[in-house]
Amino acid sequence: MKSALFVLCLAGAGFSQAADREFHDVVRVISQEFHTRPTSIPFFGLVNVFTETIRPAGTRHIDLAIFEHLSDHDRDGRNLAESIQSAVGRSWKPFIKVQSLRRGAEETVLVYMRQEGREWRLLITSVERDEATVVQLRLNPDALAKWMNDPENHARHWHGEIGE
Amino acid sequence: MKYAIPVLFLALPLAAQEIKMPPGLDKLAAKASEVVDVSLDGALLQLASRFLSDKDPDEAHVKQLVGGLKGVYVKSFEFDEANQYSQTEIDEFRAQFRPPLWSRIVGARSKKNGENSEVYLKTENNQITGLAVIAAEAKELTIVNIVGFIRPEDLRDLGGHMGIPKIDVGGAKKGHDKKDKEDDK
Repeated sequence: MKSALFVLCLAGAGFSQAADREFHDVVRVISQEFHTRPTSIPFFGLVNVFTETIRPAGTRHIDLAIFEHLSDHDRDGRNLAESIQSAVGRSWKPFIKVQSLRRGAEETVLVYMRQEGREWRLLITSVERDEATVVQLRLNPDALAKWMNDPENHARHWHGEIGE
Repeated sequence: MKYAIPVLFLALPLAAQEIKMPPGLDKLAAKASEVVDVSLDGALLQLASRFLSDKDPDEAHVKQLVGGLKGVYVKSFEFDEANQYSQTEIDEFRAQFRPPLWSRIVGARSKKNGENSEVYLKTENNQITGLAVIAAEAKELTIVNIVGFIRPEDLRDLGGHMGIPKIDVGGAKKGHDKKDKEDDK
């Protein structure tokens, strides 16, 4: 059992390494801006072993970085939206961009999506006053649409598969 | 994250937008306390429509409306101070809506609140092929450009979806009549 777990961890780490440049670049921009690192999520690599096999709601791969307690850190003071855009590259444009500079409720949300073959790659960045989240998903839109049209039935089916 | 979740299932590429947003608008972002920028091209819209349910009557209606669209582009700015944008930028944008392709169907102006709303419709071969909205207030500016088949009354149903603000075309129409009367005097 221990060796199986070790192999799974290695596989998970391998999938993480294979994650795309844009995700890591966005995480790096936020790290540099707030002089901090994302919160460590133990065994998160295992999630991708799971998604590669089960593909819940059409999702094949997930990358996630969460930053907490950002208000405790000094900021560099750069324009975060511009820095993130520059890191992602000009060939990607956010189809949703929300920026609030209201004092105490600062927020920057950038949502990117790109079609890659039959899959879609979705990159969401949300930076609030005290926390930030970067999520990247590779998903199959057909499978996701099926899931959303009948989530209850799919969840039961999925639960049954795991339980077996 | 609260803005990101509802749009999780939409998608990108950049489309050639028929109406050009004034370049000065991007500079406004620096002065604004809140900026919302939505660019949904045809591929994104069609993907989005697949996630709308056929069983829910409201979603089914929006799905039907989205089916005829090729793009939705929204820019919205909120300011803490009044008069942060210039009329020149609005005029520059408005100048693109020339007859015979474009016609203004609604124009509402409230001197009391400083609100100014206009709706333009594009028709080609007796088919509606686009719609544009300019909603300007002292501390707020919203510009919407919808490419594709849409009826003005559909705006009400699309409001609140895909970044399109809720627009009461009926109410604005009353304002239009009023303005026209004021112009006549």
